[in-house]
Amino acid sequence: MLRRLCMTRSLSAALAATMLAAPAARAEMAATITEPVTITFYSYNLASAGLGKETTEGLIADFMAANPLITVEPVAAPSNEILSRVQADIVAGQQPDVAQLVFRDLIYAAKDLGAQPFEDLAGDELAVHAEGMVPNGLALGRVDGKTYGLAYTFSTPVMFINADLFRAAGLDPDQPPRTWAEVKAAGIAIHEKTGKHGFFPGAFGPIDGTFVYQSLVMSNGGKVREGNKLTYAEPAAAGAVTMLRDLRDSGAYADIDVAAHMDTFASGDLGMFLFTSAIQSRMQKAAEGNFELRVAAMPSFGDKPTAPTNSGSALFVLSQDPVKQRAAWELTKFLTSKYAYTQITSKIGYLPLRLDIVDDPQYLKDWVEANPMILPNLEQLTRLTPNVAFPGPNYRQVESMMKDAAAEAVLGSGDPVAVLKAAQERGQALMPADG
Amino acid sequence: MKADARRLSVHVPMIVLSLLAVFPVWWMVVTSLKPENEIFSTRLWPASPSLENYAYVLDAIPMIRILWNTFAMAAATATAQVLTGLCAAYALTRWRFRGASVAQGLIALSWLVPFQLTMIPNYVLATQLGLLNTIAGLVIPNAAAAFAVLVLTNAMRSFPKDLIDAARMDGAGHFRVLCEVVVPNLRAPLASLGVLVFISAWNEYFWPLLLTRRIEDTVVQIGLQMFMTQEGNQWGALMAAATLASLPILLLYLVLHRQIIESFMRSGIR
Amino acid sequence: MVQTFDITNAMPGRATARRVVLQPWVYLAPTLATLVVWIYWPLIEALYLSFFQWNMLPTATPRYVGLDNYANLLTLPEMRRAAWNTVLYILGLLPLSVVLPTAVAMLTQDLSAPFRNLYRSLIFIPMIIAPIVAAVLWRWLLNDDHGLVNAVLETVGLSPVGFLKDPSIALWTLVWITGWKLIGFATLLLSAANGSIDPGYVEAARMDGATRWQVIRDIRLPLLSPTILLLTMMTILFGAQWSFVYINALTGGGPLQSTTNVFYLMWDYGFQSYSAGWSATAGILTFAGFGVIAVLCLWLMRRFAVHEG
Repeated sequence: MLRRLCMTRSLSAALAATMLAAPAARAEMAATITEPVTITFYSYNLASAGLGKETTEGLIADFMAANPLITVEPVAAPSNEILSRVQADIVAGQQPDVAQLVFRDLIYAAKDLGAQPFEDLAGDELAVHAEGMVPNGLALGRVDGKTYGLAYTFSTPVMFINADLFRAAGLDPDQPPRTWAEVKAAGIAIHEKTGKHGFFPGAFGPIDGTFVYQSLVMSNGGKVREGNKLTYAEPAAAGAVTMLRDLRDSGAYADIDVAAHMDTFASGDLGMFLFTSAIQSRMQKAAEGNFELRVAAMPSFGDKPTAPTNSGSALFVLSQDPVKQRAAWELTKFLTSKYAYTQITSKIGYLPLRLDIVDDPQYLKDWVEANPMILPNLEQLTRLTPNVAFPGPNYRQVESMMKDAAAEAVLGSGDPVAVLKAAQERGQALMPADG
Repeated sequence: MKADARRLSVHVPMIVLSLLAVFPVWWMVVTSLKPENEIFSTRLWPASPSLENYAYVLDAIPMIRILWNTFAMAAATATAQVLTGLCAAYALTRWRFRGASVAQGLIALSWLVPFQLTMIPNYVLATQLGLLNTIAGLVIPNAAAAFAVLVLTNAMRSFPKDLIDAARMDGAGHFRVLCEVVVPNLRAPLASLGVLVFISAWNEYFWPLLLTRRIEDTVVQIGLQMFMTQEGNQWGALMAAATLASLPILLLYLVLHRQIIESFMRSGIR
Repeated sequence: MVQTFDITNAMPGRATARRVVLQPWVYLAPTLATLVVWIYWPLIEALYLSFFQWNMLPTATPRYVGLDNYANLLTLPEMRRAAWNTVLYILGLLPLSVVLPTAVAMLTQDLSAPFRNLYRSLIFIPMIIAPIVAAVLWRWLLNDDHGLVNAVLETVGLSPVGFLKDPSIALWTLVWITGWKLIGFATLLLSAANGSIDPGYVEAARMDGATRWQVIRDIRLPLLSPTILLLTMMTILFGAQWSFVYINALTGGGPLQSTTNVFYLMWDYGFQSYSAGWSATAGILTFAGFGVIAVLCLWLMRRFAVHEG
């Protein structure tokens, strides 16, 4: 009954709302915190056992120790469930305060979930805090010129290489392939000489790999959308897909279960694996005593520069209450500080958003020297290209159609461009109209 | 000779089937005992079996607490479904009344409503009722189920009416009849229903995933999820956690399998 | 005498009648209340929401879209594939949930009690394994490169099978995993029904010189038909739902949409999309579709079931 009243009331209230176009007046964020306040922090790192959880819990504890008036209540949800949890809680009247959300949901978080743009929220404080951050990284969370998400735990695609398989195929692991033509040759060599698998991109399948796909598209000069127009079947974007199809037809592309690509690489059966650098520490552990692991930058299309796209997450402040907004902003600042990134990079393995800490002996210098595998990844940061999220109420369906079509184009038997074109046309119908 | 051949033709397929049923479970235990660098080997027994995965699991998540939550939730759900089912089945078989078929239809039809449909609205209601993060919140929406009512209605249909009438003649109220005449005679179906509900509640995944926010308040299937992520599965730990998650009901089953199978056979769940 | 009888009986009779009106509802109340609050009210809400485009957020305006959500879902090109796959799932499950258990029930009936109980106990074990665990176990066993099953196939000289990667095989792999958990349960139901057949019938037939096979065909199978039909109906109604967990955990509908079914498609485009309209529509369509099938099945069962005696 209670719910019935609630639902009907909110439905009719919303129906009756006519002033929706006018942005609701926002209360100014409180300048300081004078009384104890509790905020919630939704994080998917908390929902997986291991270093991600421990490091995040450690950071929260450190934050609370430094800000005794603020209590952070952590909420754990797996990365593919976290948005529905945030949305369900808003619907249920449990306003979340800070949420770690993946980039595909960026526009939805900004336009629908009521994420606060940091420019409006923190004003000058944002500029002060952003000092030292990679400008490309800061751009990841922007929608229409405002920063709704502050890049948090993110990485770029790198090429994991099984040096033992390279040697067995007569290749030199010190000269990893730098272009797709070289990948093709190496892949064929590995497949033919060792009987193992050549190359695999973690771009399709149930494990989210859209950022790998988008990196390829943008490295070839394409885009998946421009404004409200889908463009993933345009020549440059489709060219990236036909390149993969060619790898597949040539035998360089591994014929494996797309849902188990990490396992295949970890078991030593795959020569080259293009996927997020976030799995580096796990791969290192699996390789120990089994094979020699190397990491290289992602390959390019001829001499075109690559456009590595970010996977991972940004922090969003969703609080409506001025005092909680202040607490949420303080937490966000803390989680993206030099100290936090030292922890996040060295313990979990994500990229630091602040490059100045890399050479700073107080922070990451020693660690980077001991872990040179992060270098190709740091180098890619300069070319970091934001992952493109989709707009409108049907953005998930649009993205889903694109992913399925790209997979079909590479792995299926039909004409790849025709497959992409058909999906693009159908997807366009679900995009918002130009306004 | 002929009898031997015949016996063989029974035992061979049964042994194959039994192996198919048991081997994956065995493989789970074997894998859970393999150290990290041996995990991808296909040896039937680890070269150097170790309990490091178990130590890791117990260290990474509060497994004992989680198992206790799961037990409490499953036991409460089973009890609730058996009790509500018993009452509803009694009403449907004892009396002929206007609306009986409507009630029965409503109950049966509820089975077909996909859980994804009810999840979000129920989450909103549970939150408003303050059931978030509680075992009660996991149990209450599942306190009654079509399956339980249908099974018990079937069992009661074949229950001798004379017994009830005799008890009624002696002046016993309906509630007393239910407790003192019906229940003792329906022990088998009640027990097997209870076991089935317990198992399915123990294995429940989607609703607890939504409703519990802290690892200390969650149930064991969500605990397993902690070892599977978009960034790869921790296979050894996952298998150890899966073994720990299955162990309580496996043990329960090993101890009680005779009774469980027996009560199944006599329950007339069909 | 007659009159007094009438009176004494009629008085409480009327009272009983009134009580009869109320009493059943008192006993039904806990069940009905639970179902109405937690299942039927959300269902009605969903029906209403299915005509709107809305994400349920208080900041957004629900937009009335009529039957657009239904049209969008039903015209998805993936829908035809998913519908056909749903049929394949059900057809594939029937041998595992009905035929094989029937055969096992027949095979084991003449075994000595200890063996019978041992086999039944063993094949019941998958039933108590959680679906998530089952999915994980089978993925582990069936991997092309490091899975045990393919390692065994290779040692006996067969080429490895892409159980989860080959689009023409993946669906059958999921059918097997779904069925793996069902065999034991179905076998128990059928064995129970088989055990309760009056041995008199079988004796009589034997006396008439019926062979073992004739006894099965002419006596046991007809008498088992209510249970067989029930299992068939359950498979048809819930087969797609049972496989859903495995699709969700193992393939996400792939490779190349080969393992998607109506239920998973609904989940992907409906429930995973954060749009209350789409997901409500998906839920209503699933409910209505399977509701119609259920009514059909019940009607068929009433017509064709053979009852003992």
